[in-house]
Amino acid sequence: MKLFKILAVWCFILCATAGAQSVQAQAAPGAADQTNVEMADTLRQDGKIYVVVAVLVTVLGGILIYLVSLDRKVSKLEKQLKDDYVNR
Amino acid sequence: MKNYWWKILAALLLVFTVTAGLLTEVPRLAILNETIRNLFFHVPMWFGMIIILLVSVVYSIKYLRNPTIKNDVIAYESAKVGILFGVLGIITGMEWAKFTWGEYWSNDPKQNAAAIGLLLYFAYLVLRSSFAEQQQRARISAVYNIFAFFALIPLLFILPRLTDSLHPGNGGNPGFNSYDLDNRLRLVFYPAVIGWTLLGVWIVNVKARLELLKQRLYETV
Repeated sequence: MKLFKILAVWCFILCATAGAQSVQAQAAPGAADQTNVEMADTLRQDGKIYVVVAVLVTVLGGILIYLVSLDRKVSKLEKQLKDDYVNR
Repeated sequence: MKNYWWKILAALLLVFTVTAGLLTEVPRLAILNETIRNLFFHVPMWFGMIIILLVSVVYSIKYLRNPTIKNDVIAYESAKVGILFGVLGIITGMEWAKFTWGEYWSNDPKQNAAAIGLLLYFAYLVLRSSFAEQQQRARISAVYNIFAFFALIPLLFILPRLTDSLHPGNGGNPGFNSYDLDNRLRLVFYPAVIGWTLLGVWIVNVKARLELLKQRLYETV
């Protein structure tokens, strides 16, 4: 059940990304006059932008794992303190 | 699973924000260039700050109606996380301004108003720390918190729009018109706002629970 819900959320995100790509496809013809504006096109051609994405995901993952571990420690303490109340 | 589904949602939305925020196709606008992607990282700081500070105000009002330690702790912890988001927002704004406006701080109405708003909230922290007696501290800081929030709203959303501001969406430009906020941007922007806000709420959740445990421990010892 737990796994199923996680899968459902992932499917939602995948669909959202797919939706984004179709929107991009529609927007493409109107963008012809914008092509002379400088963007990080070479960075994308080299493929190095994925390095940045990987780094950011790593940093975010680290922070999130840290937060999860803090959350668990607090939960454990809450449980212990409740037990103390009951046993008194 | 019942209680922590929103924490998983926060993590997923943030991963989506970081990847799609860098990889998705964005409008090509002069001067802004790729910095338009700051919409997914800088702007959600302010949205998140306002939402978390609103939570703080709600709990301050709740405290005044029903003075429990829990209401006070949640109001205080969410105010602190809101201030953290605000400080991050102003720093990221300065970094961006250096490369688009030419100066870290150009005394733009939006920048000045945001700085004054943050100072109002720093005053909240100072005021709060100056009382030794718990009930007095909680009541007076709750009253001040309500005042600070309603002073912050015109500072951020009304005053910068009344004059000329360089900030996108200000100086007579309502909403996001100058950003050309099309569906491509919206698709990452809204998840980004929800994701960053949920992360803030998560931090408040952990800190408030820890603080309440501390209080309980002092009671029992």
